[in-house]
Amino acid sequence: MDQLPNLGREHEMLSAMGLSAIEDLFSDIPEKIRTKGPLPLRPPQSEEEIWADAQRLLGANIDLDSRPSFLSAGLARNFVPTMVGMLATRGEFLTSYTPYQPEVSQGMLQAMWEFQTMISELVGLPVSNVSMYDSSTAAAEAITCAVRVKGRKATQKGVVYVSEFVPPHKMSVIENYTQGSGIELRPLKHGTDGRIDLEAAQEVAGSCAVYVEQPNAFGVMDEGIIRLKEIIGEHTALIVCVDAVSLGIIEAPGKYGADIVVGEGQPFGIGPTAGGPIYGLFACGKDYLRQMPGRIVGQTVDEDGLDAFTLTLSTREQHIRRHRATSNICSNETLIALMGAMHMAMLGPEGLERLALRVAAATELTKSAMASIHGVEIVESNNPNFREFVVELPGDARSAVDYMDRNGVLGGFPLGDWWESMSDRLLIGCDERTSNSDIEALSKVLSAWVEEVCK
Amino acid sequence: MSDIFSFNGAEGTGWSQPSPISEDSISTVPMSLRRANLPRWPRASEPELVRHYTWLSKRNFGIDTGFYPLGSCTMKHNPRVNERIVQLPGIDRVHPLQPEHQIQGLLSIFFEMQEMLEVCSGMDQVTLQPVAGAQGEFAAMRCIQEYHKDNGQSHRDKVIVPDSAHGTNPASAAMCGYEIIEIPSSPNGFLDLDALRGAVGDDTAAMMITNPSTLGVFEPEISEAADIVHSAGGQMYYDGANFNAILGKTNPGLMGFDAVHYNLHKTFSQPHGGGGPGSGPIGVRGHLSDYVPSPVADREEIEGGGVTGDGYRYFWRTPQKTIGKVQQWHGNAGAVVRAWAFYRRYGRELELMSEHAVLNANYLRHRILNPESDVRKKIPAMPVDGATVDFVKHEFTLSMSPLKDAVGVSGKDVAKRLLDYGYMSPTLYFPMIVPECLMIEPTETESIETMDKFAEDFLTILSEDPSVVTTAPHTTDVRRVDEVQAARNLVLRHPCEK
Repeated sequence: MDQLPNLGREHEMLSAMGLSAIEDLFSDIPEKIRTKGPLPLRPPQSEEEIWADAQRLLGANIDLDSRPSFLSAGLARNFVPTMVGMLATRGEFLTSYTPYQPEVSQGMLQAMWEFQTMISELVGLPVSNVSMYDSSTAAAEAITCAVRVKGRKATQKGVVYVSEFVPPHKMSVIENYTQGSGIELRPLKHGTDGRIDLEAAQEVAGSCAVYVEQPNAFGVMDEGIIRLKEIIGEHTALIVCVDAVSLGIIEAPGKYGADIVVGEGQPFGIGPTAGGPIYGLFACGKDYLRQMPGRIVGQTVDEDGLDAFTLTLSTREQHIRRHRATSNICSNETLIALMGAMHMAMLGPEGLERLALRVAAATELTKSAMASIHGVEIVESNNPNFREFVVELPGDARSAVDYMDRNGVLGGFPLGDWWESMSDRLLIGCDERTSNSDIEALSKVLSAWVEEVCK
Repeated sequence: MSDIFSFNGAEGTGWSQPSPISEDSISTVPMSLRRANLPRWPRASEPELVRHYTWLSKRNFGIDTGFYPLGSCTMKHNPRVNERIVQLPGIDRVHPLQPEHQIQGLLSIFFEMQEMLEVCSGMDQVTLQPVAGAQGEFAAMRCIQEYHKDNGQSHRDKVIVPDSAHGTNPASAAMCGYEIIEIPSSPNGFLDLDALRGAVGDDTAAMMITNPSTLGVFEPEISEAADIVHSAGGQMYYDGANFNAILGKTNPGLMGFDAVHYNLHKTFSQPHGGGGPGSGPIGVRGHLSDYVPSPVADREEIEGGGVTGDGYRYFWRTPQKTIGKVQQWHGNAGAVVRAWAFYRRYGRELELMSEHAVLNANYLRHRILNPESDVRKKIPAMPVDGATVDFVKHEFTLSMSPLKDAVGVSGKDVAKRLLDYGYMSPTLYFPMIVPECLMIEPTETESIETMDKFAEDFLTILSEDPSVVTTAPHTTDVRRVDEVQAARNLVLRHPCEK
């Protein structure tokens, strides 16, 4: 056992305390609740053996880079600069706790303050926290935050409208987080073209908040969203969930009236990692500052008047305010946000734009390749898409995905898994790494499947 | 001070990327949606950024830098092979929605971790989905809430927490919509059973408590507390923050708990990364098994060994009455894999880990408080124990009140002075029931020599000129930081003006 410096020296320590056995230190645990016998677990392993098992087990997984992949559904098959992993895992960052002692934590505090600035610039709002768990909890806590701020003046008490195209796994998180505060979630309708029904949106005015996604779960960029704020008015909060990369070419939501912007930070900083750890973005206007969840870093001075950073506004938080806190969040995703900050800094403004253009180009090219397959139809093909788009197939999308899988292509996500009525629809995701040969492989295998079903 | 926004390379400076795979891809974006001005991010080259972040890292204190006795946070060494493992493409480059047969290795690790945590805690079903301890609390309280509803007990709207509880307990219960009843601890810091008897009733949904308590002391009457809550129809919730103290010695199931969360970033060494990621799986007893967040990993025997070679096919299972999801994917899988690698090192000897954690805490406590030490006699005002027991579990509390009364040195002053000596400060002013509290948790990964030196330095500080201590720290990157000004005059971002 190479993790215990005092192994074999127990007696030395015990005798210093006048004790004879380690068991003496556990004698306060009543006999009737003592564990009987050793834990029925496997024998210990050396580092070498653990590494071998990890390689064997994780090596049995098929990774996204090993084949043409069009599975995105909210996460990005990105490429993270090598520098990011190397620097973020420096022990001083990796093994630190939440920076409660600012005098010895200036490094992480400054890095997070810089992160806040970059997110603020990205989304066009003045305030950002240092991360939420992921976009789903960021969305859920944006809603509870908005209700705390707008609840009093709302004429539709406790009502929040949520885009009906929010996928069910995300909606489930939102429901869990909001049910305890008596919030009533109502669907915000979309038209048959997949865009938000601006007529129906009139009824939103007077509610506490409206939550929309841009692009939405189908990758549709909706021009109507920029008009939403003027429709709902100042007493209803506009919450927009973004694809962070898309903001290299699409307008920052803060510029068209968003009050809170949330999103998945994952495309900046870390691979899909089987869904976590990733990080959620949370930015808002000044009106929401004192009701927002999560850690916030502020700039101040030290005793000698030197610039310094510290966590601030902690009177909102659970360790001070307990059951009256704005959120229960304590541990967040700081290290992943640090990786995000490094990635964003590497990109720079023009690098971000190029990254967005690469994703847009891949989406367009894949979309037109799919449009040319006989029997495959692009759903609402006139809509502009970013990263993802939907095709209607001449049969069950799950069977198409299975067929493509057997032929070495991850062909996308069958939307029937989210909405039963969409069982013939396939969500195809593209990214900056989608190549012409990937698109050819997808076209070939999907055409072959269509031929087989239509036989 | 170096600042990332002062890097001001030419337009286009930054990471080189391939060209888009087709020209004119912007043309499909409607004019009305196009971004007018790019974010004012820094324009920097790789060498500049590597130096910037290396400089920042040197201005940050981690376990790798020095002793980190932050009570309640279990800042133990983070084995490095774990970091190497999560770089494998079989975890880093995996999508949570991939077909099950493509991620059998990951599913088998999830299953192994669920089983291990069930065994260690005496629970029947674990889900790994919650991504932090607080989220685990919230998820488990939601399960309890739905369980009560299904049993016609939705009028149970109160959750009991001791006044010494972690702040997340009441905050998590309140997020479910529960009203919080706080009960005072007895004068010696133990759970006050009479206060508990007075608090329970027909409206009790649950009690949330950690054991060992936040004083680092095992609650000997925990079974009686469980009986009181259960006979009133409530559920018992175990906050697993202090699990490092009891592994293999007792478990929450034996103590009478119905639900528990584990902090994989404490007990199982997922690095804390300056504030996360964490991982807060929950375990529940049989009557709550159907409610846990979905999905959980499961398996069935198959012919031919399966992909992982152990004779099983692994799959995701949706518990029948699941509360749904608290994170949209499967939780912090990367943290679970690190924790798995950590567990594999100990295997059935996890008990050794807890033994050493408790041994170290008691040893260090003894070194600081030993009544027979000469040094003690020379110090005008020694700290006093926060707990009036002979020995503690994995952490202990000290009250700096005598020092404050005698020479005006507060707990915070001592904490700040420790930074000058190259240590992280202990947890400060928690639990609130101990005045001027310092809470110290050495963990099992500190050597005798490190603890001896810490005790010696700690005692030195107590006899230092108070004016030196109250103005500490003196040798850190910045001196004492003005937190009041930070909150009064909020500067939450760089102006980005050239």
